[in-house]
Amino acid sequence: MNTSPAYQNNIVMGNHDDRPSMGDTTERPIRTIGDIDEIQRLKRLRGDILNAPYHLCTQKASLLTEYMRQRRPIGAFVKLISAAHFRQFAETLENSRRGIPQGRWQVMAGNILNRVYLKLEQAGRPDPVIEFSRALEYILRKMPLTIYDDELIVGNSSAHRVGAPIHPDLGGLMMLPEIDGLAGRPINPIQTDPQQVRELHENIFPFWFNRSVMARAPLYSRDPNMFNTLLEGNYYILTQFAGISHVTPDYPTLLKLGFNGIRQTAETGLREALERLAKLKSGAPDSTPARASLKNKIAFYKAAVIAAGAAIEYGGRWKSHLEQTARATADPIRKAELEAMATMFANIPAHPPASFHEAVQMVFMGHVMLHQENFQHGVSFGRMDQYLYPFYARDIRSGRLTPERAVEILGCFICKAGELLPLFFDRATEYFSGLSSASGITLGGTTPDGASGVNDLSYLILLAYDQVRLRQPNFHVRMDDNTPREFRYLCYDVLKKGGGIPAFFNDNTVIPALVLADIGEKDARDYAVVGCVEWGVPGKSFPAAGAVFINLAMALHLALHNGRFAGRRFGPSTGPPERFSSMDLLLDAFRKQLANLVERAVDGNNVIEQTHANHRPTPLLSILVDGCVKKGREINAGGARYNSTGCQGVGLADVVDSLTAIDQVVYQENRLALPECIAAVDADYKGYEDLRIYIVNKIPKYGENSDISDHYANVVSGIYTDTVRRFSNPRGGPYFAGFWTMTTHMGFGTRMPALPSGRRAGRALANGASPCDGKDRKGPTAALSSAANLDKRFITNGYAFNQKLNPEYLAGRAGNILLDGMITGYFRKGGMQLQFNITDPSILLDARSNPEKYPDLVVRVSGYSAYFNDLTDAMKEELINRTLHCMTERTCCT
Amino acid sequence: MNPAPSNSPEAVIFDIQRFSIHDGPGIRTTLFFKGCSLNCAWCQNPESISGMPEMTFYAERCIACGACANACAEGAVSMDSGRRIIWEKCTACGACARECPAEALRLVGATYSVKKLVRESLRDREFYEASGGGVSLSGGEPVLHSRFLASFLPELKTHGIHVLLETAGNYPFTLLNPLLPFIDYIYFDYKLPDDAAYRVHTGKGNQRILDVLGALVDQAASLTVRIPVVPGINTGFHQIKMMAHTLRAYGISSVSLLKYNPLWEAKIPRLNTRQNALGINMNAVDAVDYENVINQYSQYHIKASLPS
Repeated sequence: MNTSPAYQNNIVMGNHDDRPSMGDTTERPIRTIGDIDEIQRLKRLRGDILNAPYHLCTQKASLLTEYMRQRRPIGAFVKLISAAHFRQFAETLENSRRGIPQGRWQVMAGNILNRVYLKLEQAGRPDPVIEFSRALEYILRKMPLTIYDDELIVGNSSAHRVGAPIHPDLGGLMMLPEIDGLAGRPINPIQTDPQQVRELHENIFPFWFNRSVMARAPLYSRDPNMFNTLLEGNYYILTQFAGISHVTPDYPTLLKLGFNGIRQTAETGLREALERLAKLKSGAPDSTPARASLKNKIAFYKAAVIAAGAAIEYGGRWKSHLEQTARATADPIRKAELEAMATMFANIPAHPPASFHEAVQMVFMGHVMLHQENFQHGVSFGRMDQYLYPFYARDIRSGRLTPERAVEILGCFICKAGELLPLFFDRATEYFSGLSSASGITLGGTTPDGASGVNDLSYLILLAYDQVRLRQPNFHVRMDDNTPREFRYLCYDVLKKGGGIPAFFNDNTVIPALVLADIGEKDARDYAVVGCVEWGVPGKSFPAAGAVFINLAMALHLALHNGRFAGRRFGPSTGPPERFSSMDLLLDAFRKQLANLVERAVDGNNVIEQTHANHRPTPLLSILVDGCVKKGREINAGGARYNSTGCQGVGLADVVDSLTAIDQVVYQENRLALPECIAAVDADYKGYEDLRIYIVNKIPKYGENSDISDHYANVVSGIYTDTVRRFSNPRGGPYFAGFWTMTTHMGFGTRMPALPSGRRAGRALANGASPCDGKDRKGPTAALSSAANLDKRFITNGYAFNQKLNPEYLAGRAGNILLDGMITGYFRKGGMQLQFNITDPSILLDARSNPEKYPDLVVRVSGYSAYFNDLTDAMKEELINRTLHCMTERTCCT
Repeated sequence: MNPAPSNSPEAVIFDIQRFSIHDGPGIRTTLFFKGCSLNCAWCQNPESISGMPEMTFYAERCIACGACANACAEGAVSMDSGRRIIWEKCTACGACARECPAEALRLVGATYSVKKLVRESLRDREFYEASGGGVSLSGGEPVLHSRFLASFLPELKTHGIHVLLETAGNYPFTLLNPLLPFIDYIYFDYKLPDDAAYRVHTGKGNQRILDVLGALVDQAASLTVRIPVVPGINTGFHQIKMMAHTLRAYGISSVSLLKYNPLWEAKIPRLNTRQNALGINMNAVDAVDYENVINQYSQYHIKASLPS
């Protein structure tokens, strides 16, 4: 329409599209949705998964208990005591569920008993890392294998088509009070079999209640009451007692070496360690640190050898099972498929894959096996388009693979990854609504050498998702200056069909933040998204990225109430508000309260991490993360190359808006004194409605790109990141600050009193780094500018920014230009991450009333997507209410 | 405070709309200048016609707290009046609006210096660059602020911002001419068949408007002529024919149609305006056959289109 400089600029920006892409191996590259026909197999698989009921899976729990019972026989006396203790424990959990905390003496008695059990158990037992590798071997040997119709990728994360495994060895005991009613609970019902439930009650729960991570963590804590504090859900949430997770295994190395190669490396390590021990033995006295460390190394290497062997054996089981199934299959086409798949298992997972299909299958084998050991939350796939590409390119060149077939294989893989559900107890569901196991797949972005990583597979993986459109895995697109426009536009086309996938990440701000956190530049360029929005160097970091969530609004509440909440002291005494004669004094109190909150959360999390290291090592994960085998150290003990723990601040916008309001109303305009303002807030604004309306309407808000609220956003974010990065975890790594919330903003919000921002008691806090709902009154570019203005140098664990858009304004190429403008403009401003919900609000309203009509409606919740029907009512409401940027038409004076 | 020195002009702006996507290409920020030399019977923004800041009252938002009456030094607020403001006493100082918690009373129009408006205009600069957007000047009639624009636009241009002008053309061309080097594109509104109709519905004849259009065409300025479709006023067979002939005479062969939106009438009771509702109801609006309008223009070799 015209040729302004700015307009031309946009065209120039896309010029690099013309350069030959490094992935051009076909004559006609597949670039858009129309380039691939609908694949019937994927359509059927998708239907099967959508129709499969959610089912509780006790397979791992049962096999693990069976194995451990053989290893840990219990004396009659202990049995008696422990039975009585278990009854008491069950009652306590039930009370806690009803909001009655455990009494001080009860806590102490329970902890003493658990300590006694531990002493009794430790005598004469092998190192836990060896014990748990044997247990894994047992599980992989015994777990039944199931092949479903149409599958080209096999492996069962659980015993059911769509299953939610319970982990009694970790935090699974929390399910005890509600396991009987699991199938009938109002939110996220999960089917159970009576015999499963009976086995849990009679056999599994009584065995683990006093030896799980949950039972043992308080033994290491300065606060023996730690679980009461945690379960209140007011101050912070710690997730790792449910299990360690949020990590990207080293699939590139697995594909390069196979489990055989990994086993050989471990064997070499073992031999060397044994030799050194023998040398040490001749002179050194017993129990020196050097000797103890060598013994630990030897135990780890032995466990590593067992785990790698177990994985190889498991692959062998699949070979026989596929052969058997092929023999029993009449349909010649399916028979041939099964035979071909059986052949693959003659090679993998012991050896490097010989084809693209084998490579994809091998990655999924890794995923399945890891989930017999670890909690299903954020165990991610990393940069699949990068590490699968050599296999793809080789097969395409040799003519044994077509892009269509690659999409079919990838689609099968995506369906398989959608078979896994996390299991949350009812209160946890408020904080993690949507049943996402959040396995991330990262596409595009800069390569370690600084080139653009977008290749043919980047397109095909997105197109495979487009054919399947299940709520997970999570798809994340990294963008840099060289991301081809064709690829960006495919992302937008996929995004515009709803479901909030993919999300976008800005290499230009993420990589510098990682480098600043002492991650080597090449590794930083290789980052992948772990779970929702947080980052790790795939296969090299154990980022524990989803470990801690801090209620920032609570820190402000404590600052305004001299360290007290609901009449009880929680934080230090920072003085009554009468003494805050300036904003600086108030901010100082906030800083102190926050420091205390973070310190207590960090203490709790460190205790949990220590408990994992001491009692629940994860040998398979350890051999799949670089550093562990090299150092001879288990991952929970700090074996990974990079170690960090993620710590999220929740309610950023609420605190910013509250501080802005206090600054304006109390200190700038002198409308009322701070104590009076606090009295109004504490009354939930009853009798102060004029004040509340004044604050809501007239005080600038985060998300409007006003100077004052953007200033406070950096003040709050700065205080938080400075606080968090002072702490370190038992693995010797730092804490990384982030601003993403999953649905903890709902969980915390329900329990929070009113805030000076005008927010009433019990309302949700703001999600991620987004403005408070409805407070992005100046439109999306202003909201994005506010988020982009945050000082991101120390937001090392990422932030989530939600943008809701009405699809009718985004149609066609014009819509893509608009989306591109929003995303790349925001990234040029320095934004870190951006995700969209592009669903017509009327559809959401209809889906709330008629859930049966929308079994497959996928919506973006936070850093992940979920089926709308899987959300709590409160979350559904929030999604509907999140500001709709209608892009209202406004006619000028004509 | 000292009066502004004459070399730092100011303009009264009544809205700054970011993420404008219907006022030109890409993502834009639209600046609404206050003050107009026409008084169209269907003006969508009647609050833009006066060049001065003025008060508005949104009765439906009022919580009757009385903060406004306490704040007003002129005694110009009456809690008994349904329109709240006693217009003859009101000086549009905005004190009541500042105190009104419910945003029922609002001051329309704020004074901006060049520096301040440049700053606001640059906030979304990265979005303009990424989408091929820029800044749109709207109003009111932006060209009436010619002296302000003469300082403001070169500033924008030093930052490489794409500038689009929306204008109705009713001013001496000498006001616009010096600005043209700084304007990338013009939306020129042409509204009615002839001078008489212009006089009836806008209060001014069309001669000056056509002079400006002619001058722009002579200079080969990049422009699109836009026609606001007002049902019954410029949609008749004869009216379209006359408009088409006039435009053809200036070498115009394509126009963009703007759909009529009657919602502006809700603004009348909020303002101190003598403007009356046009009374074109939703049915009449829905009854407009745009297909037919487009066909009629095409008979006279003018390609008319609706913005997507």
